[in-house]
Amino acid sequence: MPPVSHSSTTAARNYRIRTALFLSGYVAVNLAAIFGAFDDMKSPGTWVFSLVVAAPVVGQIWALLAWMRDSDEFVRALAAKRFIAAAGLAMAIASAWGFMELYARAPHISAAMIYPLFWVAFGCVSAFIHTTR
Amino acid sequence: MKNRLKMLRAERNWTQDDLGKRVGVSRQAINALETEKHDPSLDLAYRISVEFGLPVEGIFENPHESPGRASER
Repeated sequence: MPPVSHSSTTAARNYRIRTALFLSGYVAVNLAAIFGAFDDMKSPGTWVFSLVVAAPVVGQIWALLAWMRDSDEFVRALAAKRFIAAAGLAMAIASAWGFMELYARAPHISAAMIYPLFWVAFGCVSAFIHTTR
Repeated sequence: MKNRLKMLRAERNWTQDDLGKRVGVSRQAINALETEKHDPSLDLAYRISVEFGLPVEGIFENPHESPGRASER
């Protein structure tokens, strides 16, 4: 479902299809890695592989931005407001955790977790942001 | 922004979806305008104005115009 309930438009349908495709690729590459398909890989292959894993995330961000571009002005403005608030919240939490790792010996969390964190933040801010004003 | 959209729409027996299709936005956008959760762009305000055959200020209240200034005209 698109980040703002608006499921019957072409933009929303394109978003769902693109997201499903990108996330399928993401899951497939990660499952292959978990089952050892890339265990014998060496540098620079590991660097390339890491970028391949990240590519679907970039694609999904593009799908989100394309959906916003193709939506009407209300949906676009509401999504943009939520996007900005969620990005700010995710950056604030990630920064705070980073300093806790540095100074308080908090357990290390991969920087790749910023993306799922962003979507959790998006869900949280969406509960409070209902207007474009 | 206060407006008469809901009343004007009801007079014509249009649903939010009907009006949305006429002016090229979603039903959610029309609902957001009626519940004052979204201020329309000038472009959308003009499209709505054409659809109802009324001037923009006959549909949307000008929030910057005081009653005194309006009566001066």
